[in-house]
Amino acid sequence: MFRQLLRNAKERLRLFLSERGRRARVLRDRLRRQPDRIDPSSRFVPGFRYGYGEREARGLELLKEWLSPEQFAQYDAKSYFEVTGCHSGKRYRINHGASMNIHELDGAGRPCVGWCFTPKGYLVAGDVMLAQKIALETDERGALAVANKFFVPTGRRNMLLHY
Amino acid sequence: MATQIVMDRTGDTRHNFDAKNADALLKAEERFRELTGAGFTAAVRTASGEAVVKRTLDPTADETLFFPRLVGG
Repeated sequence: MFRQLLRNAKERLRLFLSERGRRARVLRDRLRRQPDRIDPSSRFVPGFRYGYGEREARGLELLKEWLSPEQFAQYDAKSYFEVTGCHSGKRYRINHGASMNIHELDGAGRPCVGWCFTPKGYLVAGDVMLAQKIALETDERGALAVANKFFVPTGRRNMLLHY
Repeated sequence: MATQIVMDRTGDTRHNFDAKNADALLKAEERFRELTGAGFTAAVRTASGEAVVKRTLDPTADETLFFPRLVGG
């Protein structure tokens, strides 16, 4: 009985891993076909990692200089800040990070859709977040036109991740 | 003293110039054209702290920020 259960579990795990592997291959191939995406080779620029912490700190310093006092307080307390799109008036939450870090908020202030766009080339998180803020506040349509949309799970378990 | 801040992989590069000096202003204008021509967006902050995108050099701005073209991530 126990062996049968173990066999079933192993088989399920094997199928799960094989399906995940297949999806990863599809995604990788799709990314390779899109030339206008972030250049992954830039992450391997010689010496890039040298002084990374210093650059990261400078990027955050610059971001904080450009945030409004409300955004600064929010970012300081919660590691994210919110901006208002200049065209739609929608609210967006920019989480600390350099990719897949923008959530569009619904009327109740809950994340409903994810948007991913970044400045081209490899920049530190502070610079990326600042460019995202300015883009949404000054050219929301242009920013979303190049952005990729992603699903934001809104289940209870995921709520814990976002709040 | 005015500053042009260019985001790059070193964090950012800052170019200070005296906006009252004609030569320095000319160089700053040239840098502005080069960067925006290469796809960078230029933004300045208003007195209220709001960011505004600029298509030409604003000699009265204390800081002009340049960030590279946006791409889908």
